Formats: sequence, C-alpha cells, structure tokens
Amino acid sequence: MEQTVNNPLEASSAYNFAYLDEQTKRMIRRALLKAVAIPGYQVPFAGREMPMPYGWGTGGVQVTAAVIGPDDTLKVIDQGADDTTNAVSIRQFFAKTANVATTEKTAEASIIQTRHRIPEKELREDQILVYQVPIPEPLRFLEPRETETRKMHALEEYGLMHVKLYEDISRHGHIATTYAYPVMVDDRYVMDPSPTPKFDNPKMDMMAALQLFGAGREKRIYALPPYTKVKSLDFEDHPFEVQSWKDECGMCGATDSYLDEVILDDKGNRMFVCSDTDYCSERQDAGHRGPQHHDQPLGTSHSNGKAAE
Amino acid sequence: MYVAVKGGERAINNAHRLLAEKRRGDRDVAEIETSQIEQQLSLSVTRVMAEGSLYDRDLAALAIKQGRGDLIEAIFLMRAYRTTLPRFAFSKPVKTAEMDIARRISATFKDLPGGQILGPTFDYTHRLLDFTLMANGEEPATAHTADHPVDETMPRVLDDLLNYEGLIQDEPNPTNDDAPVADLTREAVKFPADRDLRLQNLARGDEGFVLALGYSTQRGYANSHAFVGEIRYGSVAVEIEPEELGFAIDIGDIELTECETVNKFKGSKTKLPQFTRGYGLVFGQNERKAISMALVDRAMRAREMGEQVMGPAQDEEFVMEHSDNVQATGFVEHIKLPHYVDFQGELELVRRMRAEVLERLAKADAADAENARSQPEAAE
Amino acid sequence: MIPQPRAPELLRGFENAAFESNAVFRTILDAMAHPGRIYDLPLDVPAPTGLNKSATAFLLAMADMDTTIWLSPDCASNAANAHLKFHCGSPITGTSSAADFAVARLDGDLAFITDLALGNAEYPDQSATLILQVEDISDKADMILRGPGIKESQNLSVPGLPAAFHTWRAENHHLFPCGVDVIFAADRKIAALPRTTRIEVR
Ligand SMILES: [Zn+2]
Repeated sequence: MEQTVNNPLEASSAYNFAYLDEQTKRMIRRALLKAVAIPGYQVPFAGREMPMPYGWGTGGVQVTAAVIGPDDTLKVIDQGADDTTNAVSIRQFFAKTANVATTEKTAEASIIQTRHRIPEKELREDQILVYQVPIPEPLRFLEPRETETRKMHALEEYGLMHVKLYEDISRHGHIATTYAYPVMVDDRYVMDPSPTPKFDNPKMDMMAALQLFGAGREKRIYALPPYTKVKSLDFEDHPFEVQSWKDECGMCGATDSYLDEVILDDKGNRMFVCSDTDYCSERQDAGHRGPQHHDQPLGTSHSNGKAAE
Repeated sequence: MYVAVKGGERAINNAHRLLAEKRRGDRDVAEIETSQIEQQLSLSVTRVMAEGSLYDRDLAALAIKQGRGDLIEAIFLMRAYRTTLPRFAFSKPVKTAEMDIARRISATFKDLPGGQILGPTFDYTHRLLDFTLMANGEEPATAHTADHPVDETMPRVLDDLLNYEGLIQDEPNPTNDDAPVADLTREAVKFPADRDLRLQNLARGDEGFVLALGYSTQRGYANSHAFVGEIRYGSVAVEIEPEELGFAIDIGDIELTECETVNKFKGSKTKLPQFTRGYGLVFGQNERKAISMALVDRAMRAREMGEQVMGPAQDEEFVMEHSDNVQATGFVEHIKLPHYVDFQGELELVRRMRAEVLERLAKADAADAENARSQPEAAE
Repeated sequence: MIPQPRAPELLRGFENAAFESNAVFRTILDAMAHPGRIYDLPLDVPAPTGLNKSATAFLLAMADMDTTIWLSPDCASNAANAHLKFHCGSPITGTSSAADFAVARLDGDLAFITDLALGNAEYPDQSATLILQVEDISDKADMILRGPGIKESQNLSVPGLPAAFHTWRAENHHLFPCGVDVIFAADRKIAALPRTTRIEVR
C-alpha cells in the first residue's frame, strides 16, 4: 500500500519516497508522457503546493520527484552553479526525502535539475535534464490571455512573435533578447527554453539527453525528446547568434563557456569566470589556468573586461 | 582576489537558526502557546484555514506561530501540508440553511422572519484603543444570554423570502448531491471556467485581493450594484457518505460565513427584469471576505448574464490567475533569487547597444567635420 | 477453453508501490523518448487473464481513479476487471472513445482504434494511449522509424501488424499534434510509438 505523509513535522521517514504521494506522481508522469509525445507543447497538470515557494523551482522539483528513483544520482544547479543557495536547498530536499546519491559532477548525474543554464559538458542518452520554468508560455508577453495563446499555438499563428523580434531589429539593428530566447521545436511548436541565456539554445538542438520542463505556478509541463530539432527563431538576413566574450575564464582559462562577470572593486575592475562551476573546476583539476587563478601571481592580467561580440 | 562563493549549505543552516531565534524573540517574555493563538487570535486562525484550504484550528495556530504572525507564510505552510494529505472521501454539500446561527443580518429588509441576530461583531464598536487590554487586562464582562433561542429554522432571505415572488433568479439546488464538483487542487484550471471552479478559487483567494476587486465593482469597474441580502455566520455539520455504509455520517462541525448579495438585472428580450445573486462562503467569521467574494462572483457572471466586460473583476482569467497569494508571493519574491546569468546577457547587450550608438554618433560627427572642412572649398 | 473461477482470486499488484511504479514508469518514459527502441520490463508482476505482464505493469504504474480504462473484448475478463479495479481504482468503460488507456490484442478486432480520443488542436494531450498486446517485438527492419527521439532511424518489427493498422497510423500521424500514442506490449518487452514518429513500412 502507499505510504503517505501524516505529519510533515515528523522525521523525514514519514514522507513518501521523493515527498509526493503516488497519485500525484502518476498524474505528473502521465503529463510527462504526453509532453514527450508532443514535443514543445505545454501540457496542463494539477501542480501541487510544494514545501518551497512558487518561483523557487516547484515545477522542476515536481518533475524530478515524479521521475527520480532510488538508483538515480542527482545534480542540481542554479545559474550553472552547484553551490548557489537554492541549488543547495533543492539538493538537500531530495537527499532527505528520496535518500538518493547527489553529485556536483555533470558526468556522474543521471538527473540534472537546473535553473537558468545547460551544463557545458555534452549530455548523454542516459541523462535527464529537468528545467525549472517560471513562465512557460513564450507568447505570454505578447498576449497575456491563456485562452488566446492556446489558440495561437493550435493554429500555428506565430506571426506576432516574428513581428516582435523584427521590431528589435529595426530599432537596434539586432534582436534584443538575450535569455528565454524562443525556439521552434520540430517545426511545430514555439517553445520557451526557460530563462537560460541564448548561449545555451544550440545545446538543446538534437541533444542526446531527454529534456523535461516543469512550471509549478503556471501548472505546465513540456518536453524535448532526445534528438529533436530545436531551432532558435531568426531571420534570413539576421541569423541567430550567441553571446561570446573577449575574455577568458579567470580561473580556468576557458574561452568556450558562458562567463559570469565578477566585480572586484569599486574602480571598475572585474573578471570573468565560468558560470558552470563543475566545468570550471574540472578544467582546473586538469591543470588549466586562467589569469586570476590562486596560484598565479596577483594582478598579472586584470582584464577591464568588456564582452565582445 | 576572487574566491568562488562556497558554503551555501552552512549559510542556509545558520540563517534557519537565526530565523528561529527571531521568531522566539526576547526569551524573558513568555513563549506564546498555540492554544492562545487558537483562542485569542481566532480571526487570524480562520483566515489561515480559509486561504490555506484546510480546516484545522490547531494546525493554523501552529502555522501562525511558526510564520511569526505572517499570515501569508502561515497559509503557505498549511497548503504545503494539505497537499500531502491523502483524500479519503468527499463531503456531502454542507447545509447552510440548517446552520447553527451565531449571527444573521439582512440589509434588504428592516425586519424579517427569524430576526436580525447581531452576534459578535466589530460593526458598532468605536475604534478606540483599549489600554486595559495592554495593562493587566480585565476579565471582559460575559454577554447576556437571550431570553429565547434563535429560531431553529432560520429562513434564507433570498431563497425563502425573496424568491416567493419570483423576483430573484432561481438557483435550484443540484438534484444530485453527488454531482461532480470541480477541484482546482486536483486538476489544471482551463478557461472558460465554470462557477464552481470560480467560487473555489475565490474562497482560497487572498482576502486583500478579493476585497480590492469587490471594491472596484462598487466604483464603476463592473455594473452590478449589490445589496447584502443576507449574511449568516455559525456552524454547520460536515457529513460524508462512505460507499460501504450507504448512509451519511457526521464527521464534525465547521464555522462558516455565508453571504448572498442581491443584484439588479434589467432583463432582456427573453427574461423579465429580476434580481440576480452573488455568493460568498468562507471558513470562520469573515464578513469582509464573504461580501467581497459575493461581489466578485456576481461580477464574474458577466458572460452568463450577457453583460459587457468593463472591469478586471468581471474577467475570470484575470481574477483567477492572480488571486492566489501563495502563487503571487512566490513569483513576486522569486526575483530576489540569483539571476546573474540572465543579467550577464543583458549587461552584454546594453554595453553593445551603447557602443553601437556611440560609434554611430562618432561617425556622424566625423562626417560633419569632414563636411565643414570641404564646405568652404565647395563655396569657391 | 480454460474454465474461469466464478470469483477470481485477486493477484497481487506492486509489492512496493513507490519503487516499482517508478521503475516501470522510467522504462515507459525511455520507450516514449526513444520510439521503437525495445525495453525489457524491469520487474515481474502477475498478470490476470486477458492481460500480459507488460500491459499489467503499465496500468499498475500509470492508471488510477482519475483515468478511464477500456479493455477490448478479448482482454476483458472478470479477473482483469477485478485486478484493475482493486489495484488501480480506475473506472472501466465499455466505450472505447471514453478511454484514457485502451488495451487490446494485436490478433483481435482492431476496428475500435478509429474511435479512440485524439485530443483537440488546443489540448492535443486529451487523447488516448493504446496498449497493444503483441506476441513479440524485434528490431528487424520491417518498419523504419524516424522523428523526434530517433537519432537517424530506428528499426522495429511487430509480427502480425495488419495493413489496417498502418493506414490508421498514417492518418493519425497526419493529425499531429492530435493523435494516439501506442505502446507495443509483448509479455516482457515494450516499445513505444508516439504520434510524432514517421513510419516507413518495408
Ligand atoms: Zn572556468
């Protein structure tokens, strides 16, 4: 028989495996199967209140709770980092309620829950990437009504989105969307990739891992099966392009990763460092060094960094 | 020198300890007991039960204590607990007509069968701070018992009195008590939403939000002037009918406030002019919420009544998507979580756009200077 | 014909609901994510008359009081009904168009498949899933599958799949995003055919 929670104030053994009751998990699992069968389509599901606030990743947490099994190894990142407070908190939640192994190593994880980044290391077929999504509807800022956006998806009426992007081009000379950059999935659904930087969009295309998206407050689940065509929206005369940096990572010297800017003082000095902490530390372990690494003499190459095109 | 931020786990644990310390406050002051909250802050308790969608006074008192008196935090604690509870049964519809009345008033009739029963109300108190409550506090005088009990069958103003003339829109009880009722905690909301779902949403909705929307309907953002036909507050029995038993059993009493408003309806080609209704029902004694809910319920019936939608309170998608304070507070507050990856993208973009503008300006300046130099020659 | 006990004895369901449903679900999720790829059923469950082990495990993992099951006449038995009612709590319907999960045998009458719910343009998820019990599945190149979840192409063979199935499936695929997802359930193996998959029949 199913074990259910009687009193959350009791020890964590009073919780069902992975917190959610079995019926809730089944409901989420059914939504997940539909999501995989209709790539990029937002499946409504009866999201539950979780013991962390809406906006903290309740959608991702519910998806992970429905998917995770005792043999999984979980990695949780926020902004690409394993040690951000919310990533720590979610990892602890599953370590406690599902008693699963956790890791900070991308390669060791079977499930990776993420907020705002895709790991730099290429993911494999035996991995699942779970995204936390705040606003799943890519058309929401063009049309606030769900009844209307549903119709637009049903009719493949995406003209408005193209108009919006083209307005950017006529005003600024290029598309002024840097994150949550909309994608077209398998030539059918326009999808919100969650607020990941557009730098990560190309990784979604034909990814070997299964990608699952959970929006808890908005109560939507969607998915990208492995090897699915994902194309960032663009125009022939203005093709999609990703951010790049003039600088390298100050710690590991990487030039191919997404870099965060770190302000060093109030004199305008800053440095850049990989947002993917595991990628960076793995490179450092392999002996790669950036200009600001500890065992480099201080101040050798302070970049007054500006992101280049 | 840059050192990657580590130690999130330790920081979190210590933040939790500090929070617990703050909650306790000065240790020279006696710790508040949940039974005191349950008894003496009873309106906080009922609000937390109502918006937490869980009728349990002790747990609500605990949630208020744990949430340091922040009622939205307490509501969130109740919701998160509620979601893990297995569902054993559905209750029969509660019979508010058979309510054990503590208060019952009507604004539409001076006197009416059953009478106006004032009950415990702030309505006619003078809002003067009572400093005796702050000092040692005097035992309050006990209220007098009425000479005769409240009528056992308290007629409902709208159904039993007004409907007698057919003046009010009929809302017959469903013929089948077991007819399915929507439950937004069990299935995703789809629009357009039926009235059962709308009412459930309002009953759980934030009191302040529903109040503001109800208020807006009175100020022209809807066209449904309302009278309070009746407010009743008291306790009703909750019954369930287990399949294997085949008859209903009483599982306990809950306190409810019910409000029915009477709204004018001008009539249409096919319907005579008559009054229409708005309905509010909330746990505990909370007339503010019950009346507001009834106003918004009536406003959201615009589609059904063929009325023009002119205000947010009539727009079910707007109301239902924004009424939940646990959702709202989560999403509003989540922007304090790290967003530096996204911000980095924006930083890069703004720098690039500034550089592009400056470059254009510089080019234009250079061209102007070039023109200025070549101009005199051209004049020759 | 095997005589049926009048009051069929109830078989056990999952021994540990949390872990076993998870194992079965993960296998189904993998199968849906990799159309046509064959997966072993990760555990053994007793199957009531009319159902095989894979179909039984699928229903135990995925069905409950919120989902309606339809069993084709050759799958429906007192034992199957009792099993699903007791362990899943699912309503069992006699109308195939009302089914969330429809269970049938490949060698039976497949006329019902055109009645299955397809969803609608705004809610294509409101569609049925067909669990088709089959004798065997293999990766012989009788069908070549392409589409999301498949890197280049995937071979699949389901012996006995009639031409009528392919006709229906071709129409079904054409209705995307509406459509029915199919699970081929051999006794201990499953493969999935979501609505996105394009089939080339050899
Ligand atoms: Zn680095």
